[in-house]
Amino acid sequence: MSSGISGLDQLIHGFHLGDNVVWQVETLAQYRHFANALLDQAVRDQRTFVYIRFGTHEPVLGPGPGLAIESFDPRAGFDVFSAQVNRIISNWGERVFYVFDNLSCLVDLWATDELLTNFFQATCPYLFELDTVAYFALDRGRHADEAVTRIRDTTQVLLDTFQINNALHVRPLKVWQRHSPHMFLPHRVEREAWIPVPQSEVPPTVLAHETTAPWDAVYAELKVLYSLDRAGREEERVEALQELLTRMLLGNDEKILRLAEEHLTLAVLMHVRRRVVGSGRIGGKAAGMLLARAIVRNTCKDVSPAFPLLDEDSFHIGSDVFYTFLVHNDLFRMRLSATRAGEVSREEFEEVEARFLKGSFDEARIREFRALLEEVGESPIIVRSSSLLEDGFGNAFAGKYRSEFCVNRGSMEARLESFMRAIKLVYASTLNPDALSYRRNRAMLENDEQMAILVQRVSGTSHGRYFLPTLAGVAFSRNLYAWTDRIDPRVGMIRLVFGLGTRAVNRVSRDYPRMIAVSHPELRPEIGEEVTTYSQRHVDVLDMDGGGFRTVRMSEILKEGRYPVLHLLVSTRQDGYLTEPVGRRVDHAADVVLTFNRLLKETPFVRMVGRMLSALEAVYEQPVDTEFTASVALNGHVEINILQCRPMWLPGATDHVDFPEEIESDQLLYRTDRFINGGVVDPIRFMLYIDPKAYSLLGDEGIRKSLPRVVGQINRDPRIKGGRIMMMGPGRWGSGNPELGVGVGYADIDQVSVLVEVAYEEDGHVPEVSYGTHFFQDLVEAEIIYIALYPGRADTDFNEYFFGSAPNNLTDFFPELEPYAGIVHLIDVPGCRGGRHVRLVADPDSRRAVCYLE
Amino acid sequence: MSEALNPFKVAQAQFDEAAEQLGLESSMRELLRWPRREYKFTIPVRMDDGSTQVFHGYRVQYNDARGPTKGGLRWHPEETLDTVRALAAWMTWKCAVVDIPLGGGKGGVTCDPKKLSDGEKERLARGWIRVVARELGEHRDVPAPDVYTTPQIMAWMMDEYETMVGRSHPAVITGKPLPLGGSQGRNDATARGGVYTVREACKALGVDPNGAYAVQGFGNAGQFAALLHEEILGGGTLVAVSDTSGGIYNPDGMDPKEIVDYKLKQGKVSGFPGTKPISNEELLELDVNVLYPSALENVITADNATNIKAKISCELANGPTTPEADEILFKNGVHVIPDFLANAGGVTVSYFEQVQGTYNYYWPLAEIHEKLDARMTLAYQEVRAMQQEMNVHPRLAAYLVSVTRVAEAVKLRGWV
Repeated sequence: MSSGISGLDQLIHGFHLGDNVVWQVETLAQYRHFANALLDQAVRDQRTFVYIRFGTHEPVLGPGPGLAIESFDPRAGFDVFSAQVNRIISNWGERVFYVFDNLSCLVDLWATDELLTNFFQATCPYLFELDTVAYFALDRGRHADEAVTRIRDTTQVLLDTFQINNALHVRPLKVWQRHSPHMFLPHRVEREAWIPVPQSEVPPTVLAHETTAPWDAVYAELKVLYSLDRAGREEERVEALQELLTRMLLGNDEKILRLAEEHLTLAVLMHVRRRVVGSGRIGGKAAGMLLARAIVRNTCKDVSPAFPLLDEDSFHIGSDVFYTFLVHNDLFRMRLSATRAGEVSREEFEEVEARFLKGSFDEARIREFRALLEEVGESPIIVRSSSLLEDGFGNAFAGKYRSEFCVNRGSMEARLESFMRAIKLVYASTLNPDALSYRRNRAMLENDEQMAILVQRVSGTSHGRYFLPTLAGVAFSRNLYAWTDRIDPRVGMIRLVFGLGTRAVNRVSRDYPRMIAVSHPELRPEIGEEVTTYSQRHVDVLDMDGGGFRTVRMSEILKEGRYPVLHLLVSTRQDGYLTEPVGRRVDHAADVVLTFNRLLKETPFVRMVGRMLSALEAVYEQPVDTEFTASVALNGHVEINILQCRPMWLPGATDHVDFPEEIESDQLLYRTDRFINGGVVDPIRFMLYIDPKAYSLLGDEGIRKSLPRVVGQINRDPRIKGGRIMMMGPGRWGSGNPELGVGVGYADIDQVSVLVEVAYEEDGHVPEVSYGTHFFQDLVEAEIIYIALYPGRADTDFNEYFFGSAPNNLTDFFPELEPYAGIVHLIDVPGCRGGRHVRLVADPDSRRAVCYLE
Repeated sequence: MSEALNPFKVAQAQFDEAAEQLGLESSMRELLRWPRREYKFTIPVRMDDGSTQVFHGYRVQYNDARGPTKGGLRWHPEETLDTVRALAAWMTWKCAVVDIPLGGGKGGVTCDPKKLSDGEKERLARGWIRVVARELGEHRDVPAPDVYTTPQIMAWMMDEYETMVGRSHPAVITGKPLPLGGSQGRNDATARGGVYTVREACKALGVDPNGAYAVQGFGNAGQFAALLHEEILGGGTLVAVSDTSGGIYNPDGMDPKEIVDYKLKQGKVSGFPGTKPISNEELLELDVNVLYPSALENVITADNATNIKAKISCELANGPTTPEADEILFKNGVHVIPDFLANAGGVTVSYFEQVQGTYNYYWPLAEIHEKLDARMTLAYQEVRAMQQEMNVHPRLAAYLVSVTRVAEAVKLRGWV
């Protein structure tokens, strides 16, 4: 097949189908010359010809007959760009001729040679499969040898183009499956036949390469400038470079960049940059942590000793490494198709994980990992996901990606092996079913999702065979768990545990972190023996003698010897009641219960966390959600290590809610001031109403007991799931006692948007609703709006007539539930109210909620 | 509040029935139908945020003919004077049935202690004492813990009282922590006393103590009953246990200690390994030798009384059997050990604490158990004798014993 230039055809024996041809050029004109010749030839041969246009440079080919142009915007990020190009190639199909814009312009946008190379490596094999011929260009001398080597390894043809004495020369660097004695000599371009030139006639400077990718260039220049004193350097240049460095590390989110500009010094950024393995961004989680630590230290100067910098404890694996791993191990397209489908089953994910675990890193990368582990020493580490989307504004991704602990002891080879395994597991977790469905539900499948990694020394101390922090947990700047009016929901809350914070973050059954209202730390919804029941009994630790991460009983910890500040953490249970230890002595023979009572009373811990939360909320200009570990000394000095900070996702709206003041009385369904999480939910199509009066009069215990199953069936039905449902019913949902309310489990209501507990006052007795129960915690975490309705109270309106008179569609949807039709009302609102839906507005500022027909 | 549900009206009706049986004169009836003294007062408490909240407090001294009044303090959001009155009346009968030289009282504060910090609780406790201190003392009226009050609260109260009177006074309040003059054996006293009466009932009725038993409700009393039944009766098979989460059943028997551990950790009994689920209602109807209703009021009603197959029902809970059910059980030969006898072990050990505090001399645990056993055994036998003599159901028999004793004291004092 001809290139349209006979000299070139002779030199490389023409093109083969499947050839990817990379031109290293000094000017765009050089590339344009060869590309136009190819186009002319293709038009003569009546071939399909597509120009892939994405560069910021002048077009390589002008519009004309026989030429299709596909345009892309690489600013959307590597992931999106690669996926789009891949899709277009797939659409055009086989035996197509392509000219791509100059790849070097991608480095300006993506900062590193690594991503450019990854793009090429991900795209080129696919073009080969489709029997296409594709032209690519690279700026000569702009890219690191390593990058050019990877491109050479991947492409079929690599041609170096340069001028000597105003004459254009081409030297083939690689021509796959074609040979001739002089093929790899430089050739002077002549009109017909090209003339070989002896290597000795090429000036050595012509062949030298050094990368000018910003990732290295910006850092190199900053290092020089940073070593100068302020007087000797040009501040404007430093500022410009600092901004570039910030973008390269933290990405382009304007809000994050603004916070970084205000709070991250050049020294911090340089420090972070030094600690990045590979290249690319450090991801959202790492960015949130750095910003939070800096914000608290900058804005709470009087308590800054409580918030140590700990910046020597963190390392990063740049996001580019993720793609190199995918491309290097032939996982890129598998990931692409899974992401496109938006769904991976649990079984499929096991296979995916196995394939990731089989993948390998190249030698250079492994050397860097080894150096990182040498610097860390034999401290336990945690390998944490820090993807680009994670912890961003509006996307919490809480717990969707993996974090792995490494005990990090033993021979370097063993440590390295487990470290790399941890990295691969985190990488694989980008495809786990939860993460994909989270992205799908938030329409983020198309977003650029690069996985950077944050490697940290685990904070804590050794206690016998175990390694654990004294305190860990999560803290929110708003309290969604304000179970009494006394608690100020605008001030935060803490979920505190002894040991690793996994116990506070994950939902564990029948084991409870201490919930602390920052406004009233001592108040808790339990009393008497309930305090023991609702306490933490198991502790997450690293078992340094083997096993790594483990959950052990509290008594196991105590067997390892006296825990230094135990007296601040526990109460002892004797003779049926709890007392606080006297002094520092804890009677080990007594039952100990983790209450943290003395920590709350005798140390500034809660006040410090409160300061931290309010400072972060003020700077972020919205509520925040943080993770931390903390230590407390015998003298009560507290140190808090912020591990994570992200905007807090309040169910429904986070901002001000426009509260409808005027609603016609026949449109109103209910109005109350008892709810926890604010927001607007609309349109609501279905209302499931369990008539509280019918429920209380139910003679048939069987019906009462089987109601949870019925509710669960309705909740899971795909017809209902599609239309948003509000459930309303008597008393305490989730109670084990049908006398108290509908005994549903979490899975029976997980698709519900709004859950309303209706509590009738009878004989002056108001049943306590679910405030403060642990079922309620599930609701908050599942982002279900919870409302308590007390019909008959002055501040409550309840349109009983609507619920009594609206047609019951239960048996239309579920004929088999006929026996329940007397008590369970399923109202398909648009069907009976002329297409109108229901809307709920709960205003967290004024503490008012109203539900009405739109 | 409807008349039927007003607990004080219920207490008066129960007294009226006993008075009728005994043929008491009208002046005696009038005196014993009402509390002798009631205190209703306000307690201003400085809250942690600097504001002041005013709480409503109560103390009712129902009858002190037999000695100083005694009764618990309840801190509950739905506390009312009528609840306190009813409970004070029942304390009077309870002290009399076990023949301890005390009258009956009760007190409370309308509050939700879950919503109070420790500091606020302490100020509330001290505030309560400051109002009623002049009416208290081991020779006047002795409070104790009840719903939502704890040994710590008793300690604060004792300290406030001692500060006011300027001398040591441990017997002014019972249910104190051990290091401050609490009594050994208080924790399991209610259940232990009940199980002693069960042992006596088995002897009296010829019921095999090795048979099956079931516990409905698994709070403090239920748990200790499950644990102590075998120890005190020398045998027995625990076949079923329940709490608000539901019940568990194993006809081959279960280890009570393992269930207690499970409950402490899981917060419920359901799901205990090796058992079948059973509803609270089914549990009550099991064919067992001994049933311990230890949970709520009104669980044995006219609807299910005919299905009760237990030979003995030991009422550790307050009011588990409705009056209609009482009649049915009596006719069907189910032997009920009525609540205010069955659960009088608690107040008996409280009385022991008061005595020990007065003498400032404390008894070892074995001595407490021995003395409690003697009291409960005697009390059971006296109620049993009354029941046989009058041919009435045991609850009425217990009332007859108590009311007779109180009336006798009133008479001797020349009040009526």
